[in-house]
Amino acid sequence: MDPEKDKPLPQTSPTSAATTTATDDNNHDHNTTTTDHDNNIINNDSSSSSNDHRPDDQGSPQQNLGDDTTKQEAEPDPDLDPQKAETIDSDINEQPQSAADQVNLQETTPPFSLDLNKVSEEVDQYISTLSTSKGDESTPPAEVPTFVHQFALLIEAKIVDYESSENPVKWSQLEQEDSTSFLEATLRLSSLSKAISELSSEHKHAHFVNRIGGVLQRAMSYIEEEFKSLIEDYRIHDSDHSNSNDTKPKQPTSSTPNEESDENPPPESAPVEDNNFPGYSEEILSDLLRLSKAMIAGGYEMECCQVYFVARRNALEESLQKFGFEKHSIDDVQKMHWESLEREIANWIRTFKQCASVHFTGERRLSQALFSDHPLMSESLFCSLSQGVILQLLNFADAVALTKRAAEKLFKFLDLYEALRDILPIIDNLFAEESLTEVKREASMIKGRMGEAMISIFVDLENSIKADSGKTPVPGGAVHPLTRYTMNYLKYACEYKETLEQVFKEHQKIERADSATGSDFNYQSQAAQNPNNNDNNNNNAVVKQSPFQTQITKVMDLLDANIESKSKLYKDHALSSIFMMNNGRYILQKVRGANEINRLMGDSWCRKRSSELRQYHKNYQRETWGRLLSCLHPDGLMNNGKVVKPVLKERFKSFNAMFDEIHKTQTSWVVSDEQLQSELRVSISNMVIPAYRSFLGRYSQVFTPGRQTEKYVKYQAEDIETYIDELFDGSAAQMGRRRP
Amino acid sequence: MPATDNQGSFLNRISIRRNQFIPIESSNDQEQENLELFQRHVADRFADLLYIHSSTTTTAVTNSNSNDHSSATAAATATTDSPSATHDTHTHPPLPPQLLSISWFRNLLDTYLCCEAEFKAILVSGRDPSQFSRPPLDRLIPDFLERSIKALDICNAVTHGVDLVQHWQKLAQIALTALNQTPLGEGQVRRARKALNTLLTSMVFDDKENANNNLHGRWTERTRSFGRRVGGGGGNNKDRTAGNFRSLSWSVAKSWSASKQIQTMSANLAAPRGGESTALPVYIMNTIVVFVMWALVAAIPCQDRNGLATHFQVPRNLAWAQPIIGLQEKIGEDWKKKEKKGTAGLLEELQRMEKVAHSLVEFADTFVFPMEEEKEAELASQVAELAEICQKMEEGLGPLQQQVREVFHRIVRSRAEVLDVLDQITKMSAPVPY
Repeated sequence: MDPEKDKPLPQTSPTSAATTTATDDNNHDHNTTTTDHDNNIINNDSSSSSNDHRPDDQGSPQQNLGDDTTKQEAEPDPDLDPQKAETIDSDINEQPQSAADQVNLQETTPPFSLDLNKVSEEVDQYISTLSTSKGDESTPPAEVPTFVHQFALLIEAKIVDYESSENPVKWSQLEQEDSTSFLEATLRLSSLSKAISELSSEHKHAHFVNRIGGVLQRAMSYIEEEFKSLIEDYRIHDSDHSNSNDTKPKQPTSSTPNEESDENPPPESAPVEDNNFPGYSEEILSDLLRLSKAMIAGGYEMECCQVYFVARRNALEESLQKFGFEKHSIDDVQKMHWESLEREIANWIRTFKQCASVHFTGERRLSQALFSDHPLMSESLFCSLSQGVILQLLNFADAVALTKRAAEKLFKFLDLYEALRDILPIIDNLFAEESLTEVKREASMIKGRMGEAMISIFVDLENSIKADSGKTPVPGGAVHPLTRYTMNYLKYACEYKETLEQVFKEHQKIERADSATGSDFNYQSQAAQNPNNNDNNNNNAVVKQSPFQTQITKVMDLLDANIESKSKLYKDHALSSIFMMNNGRYILQKVRGANEINRLMGDSWCRKRSSELRQYHKNYQRETWGRLLSCLHPDGLMNNGKVVKPVLKERFKSFNAMFDEIHKTQTSWVVSDEQLQSELRVSISNMVIPAYRSFLGRYSQVFTPGRQTEKYVKYQAEDIETYIDELFDGSAAQMGRRRP
Repeated sequence: MPATDNQGSFLNRISIRRNQFIPIESSNDQEQENLELFQRHVADRFADLLYIHSSTTTTAVTNSNSNDHSSATAAATATTDSPSATHDTHTHPPLPPQLLSISWFRNLLDTYLCCEAEFKAILVSGRDPSQFSRPPLDRLIPDFLERSIKALDICNAVTHGVDLVQHWQKLAQIALTALNQTPLGEGQVRRARKALNTLLTSMVFDDKENANNNLHGRWTERTRSFGRRVGGGGGNNKDRTAGNFRSLSWSVAKSWSASKQIQTMSANLAAPRGGESTALPVYIMNTIVVFVMWALVAAIPCQDRNGLATHFQVPRNLAWAQPIIGLQEKIGEDWKKKEKKGTAGLLEELQRMEKVAHSLVEFADTFVFPMEEEKEAELASQVAELAEICQKMEEGLGPLQQQVREVFHRIVRSRAEVLDVLDQITKMSAPVPY
C-alpha cells in the first residue's frame, strides 16, 4: 500500500461511522477559513444539501475499503448513512460561528464563490478518494456525487461569465485571486476528469466523464484563447533600429577601391541591446507561465505548443522586418543593383548578429521559462522556431553567393563570410549537437559557396589584369589606373588577411593550379626563382608561403608584367622609365603604407622593389641627361691647346636646343609623388648643374662679351636649376602637348 | 470514360519506334546515341510516374493499359488484355503511390535528379567547351541558368510550404488525440473541432491570402478587430478560431508569386527545330524543371498560385514528352477543380485531410453524447483515415523536404559547373573597373 495514499485518511474503520470522522476531520482542517461557512450555507439553506454529502460519505469508506481490503463490509447504506453524516456535520458546523459572520460573508462575496470553495474541498476529497481506490476493479463504482456536478456547473458559469459576448473578461483584468482560483479549479477539473476516467469505463460514469470533459474543454479553450492573446501581444521596439550604418569598423571605405574616401565609422553603439526582446513584461510573462502550466496540466500541451509556435514565429518574423531585413527571392537578388545589395548585405549582417546575440537567446529563455518542466518540449519549440529563422537568413546569403561575380563584391562577400564564420559557432552552441543538423549543413555549404566565389573573384582579377591591354599610354608617364585600382584592391583585401587566408586554405579547389582556371603560373618555381624571398627567412620560406600570400604575389607579378608591357607603349625610353618609376613607386608606397600587406610582401620584397626603382632612375638619367652632358664634354673642343670656337658654338647650340627640348617635353611629364619628384629634380640638378657650371666657367669667356655671349650662353647655371625644378609637374600636358 | 481515352492517346504517342526519337543529323555518333538514350530515359521515367497514377487512381479498366510500365512499347500492346492487367496490379505487393501523393512526389524528385545527372553528363562531358560560345548554346545556356535560379526560389517556397503542411499535420494530430478518447465526450469532440477548424481556416486562409498578396500580419489587425468573442457565450460551443486566426507567415518576399515564377520560367520555352541536336537536351531539361516545379507548386501551399493551370504547356508532338504531357493534363484538370473549390493544394494527403476534416467538423456539429453506434463506426473509419494521413505525413514530409533541398543544392552545383565551363571559354576577362 502506498503510504502517501493513506495519508489523507486518518485512522478509520470500514464502517459508516468512519465517514463522519472523515468529514469531521475535513471540516476541522478548515476551521480557520471561511470554508466552514460555505458548508453551513449548503447544509442549512440548500435543499440538496443532504444529497451533497451522500457521495462523500460513500467516497470515504470506499477508499478505506481499498486500504483495508475489506470490501464486502464496506458496502455503504445510502439510505442510512448520509443522514447520520449530515446531522453530525451540521452539528459540528453550526457551533463555531455566529450568524453575523454568515451575513457578512454573504453580502461581500457572490454566492458562487462561496459555494466554489466548499465544493472544491469536497471535490478534492473525492479525487483523492478515487485515486486511492484506483485499480480496484472489483469495487463497484459509486454514483457521482452531486457536488461534483455542482462544481462543474460553477466552473461553467464562470467561463460563461468570462466569455460573455457583451463583456468578455480578459485574463489581465482578473484579480490575482480570481485568476488563481480559476486555474486551481481547472486543475481540479482535469484531475477529476483523469481520476474518473481512470477509475472505470462503465456506462454510468460515462455521462459524468462527458460532463467534466466538456467543462474542462471549455475552460481549456478559454485559457488557450487567453494564452494566445497574451502571447501574440508582444511588443517589439523598432525605434533604435532604423540606423542602417554598417557597424564594421574595419571597413571604413566603400568597396570600390579607387575612391580613397575615408568616411569615418559612425560613432555608433555596439549592436543595440534589446533586452526587451521576447517582448513581454514580467507580469505578462508570469500570466503566460500560469496559463501554459494549466494547459499542460489539462492535457492540452499540443494546443499550447501550436499557439506558442505560431505566435513566436510571427514575432520573430516581425522583429526581423523591423530590423530592416527584407525577404528577397533569389531571383530578385540576382537582379538587384549592387549598391542596394550592399545595403541589404549590411542589414543582413546586422540582423544575423542580432538574432544570434539577442533573439535566439531571448527565445530560448522564453521557451525555457514557459515550459520549465518540459525541457524536451521547450527545446523542440526553440529549435523549430530558430531553424525557420536561420534558414531564411541563410537563404539570403545563398542568394548573394549566387550573384554574378565581380571584383567589387569581394569586400561585402568577406563581411558576409565573416559573419557566417563568427555567428555559426554561436548558433552551434545554442543548440544541442544533434539538432538543427540540416541548418548546420546548409550553413557550411553556403560558407563554402561564398569562399569559392571569393577565390573566383581573385581568378577573375588575374584574368582581368592579364587582359588589360589598352594601347593608349597614360599621358606624361603617370601612374596607370590599373596600378591604382589593383593596389588599392589588394590593400583592402589584405585588411581581411586572416579571413582570406582561411578562405584560401579551406575553399581553394585542388584543380586551381591547372591551366583550366587560366593560370599557368607555377607558384613554387616562381618563388624559387626569386632569391629575395629567402632573404630573411630560412630556405623553407618558399614552401611556407601561404595560399593567400601566393595569390597576392601572383596578382602583383601579373600587375608588374602588365605595367612593364604598358611601358613599352612609350616611344621615349626616358618616359618609359618615368612611367615605371611612377608605378613602381606607387606600388611600393601602397605596400609600405599598410601593415597587413607590408607584412605579407615582406621586407626583402620591398628592398628588391627599391633597387628596381633606382635602376629605372639611373636609366632615365642616362637616357635624358647623359646625352645632354655629352655636349659638355671637353673631348674634341681643344685643338693644340686652343678652343675650337665653331665646335664650342655647336656644343652650346646643341646643349641649348637639347635642354629646351627636354624642358619643353618633360615639364609635361607627370611625377605626382612629391618625394619622387624632388628626388628626381635634385639628382638631375646634381648631375647637370656642376657640369654646366664648370663648362660655363671654362668656356664662356671664349665668346666676345655682348651679343656673341648672349647668343651662345643662353642659360646661366641658376636658370638651369630653375628650369629643372619645373620638370615633371605635368603642366605642359594641359597645354595639349602630349608627346610621349 | 475520358481517362481511358487519355490513356490510349498517350500510349499511341509514346509507342513510337525507337529510331523515331531522334530525327537528327549528327557527326558524332556517341553524342547521338546518348541523346537518344536520354530521351528514352526521360520518357520511361515519367511514364513510370504516370503509370503509378493510373494504376491506383483511375478505374480498373484504365489500369489495364499500363500493365508493363517499364516499356512504353509493351504498354501499347497491352491495351487489350485488361482483366489480366487489372489482376496484375492487385498482386503487386507494394502498391505504387497515388498521383500527387507524398510518395509520388518523392519519386518525381528522384526522377528529376536522375534526369538532371544524365543531362549534365550529356551537356558537359565530352563536349568541346567552345560550343558553349556558339549558337545555339550561347543563348540557351544563360537562359537555362536563369531558369535554374527561378527554380531555386520555387524550392524555397515549397520547403516553406512543407513546413506549413507539417503545421497542419500537428493540428490534425490534436484532433486525433481528442477523438481517440474513450468514451468520447463532448469536450473532446469540441476540442477536435476547434483544432480542425483552425486547420481548415488556415488552409483556406493561407491560400486565399496568398492569392491576394496581402500577407505579413497586416490582416491580423483587421481580423482581430472584429471581435474575438464572436458568439462566444459560455454555452456557445462555436469555435473562435476564425475570428482571430493567425497563421504562419511566409518566408518569401512579399511580392513573390509562385504562379508568376512558373509563368516566367515557361516563357520562351520553345522546342528546337528538328536538326538542333545540341539544343534538344537543354530543351528537355528545361521542360522537366518547369514541369517538376509546376507540379510542386500545384500540390504544396505556395504564395500566390493564381492561374497556375494555364502557365505551362508542352508541345504535343514530342515523343519523349508524352508522359509529361499526360501528367500535366491530369494535374491541370485537378488544378482547375481546385481553383473552383478553393482547396489548400493538390497534394493527395492534403486533399484527403481537408475532406476528412470537413466531415469530422460536420460530425462534431451534430454530436450528441452518448454517440450512437452507427455513428461510432463512421467516426472510427474517419479517425482511422485521418490517422493514416497523419502517419503518411509524419513519415513522408521530412524526407520530401530534404529531397527538395537536395534538388536545390543540385541545381546550385550544376549551375556552378556550367559556369566553370563558361569561364574556361571566355576566360572571364571582365575589364578591370578602374
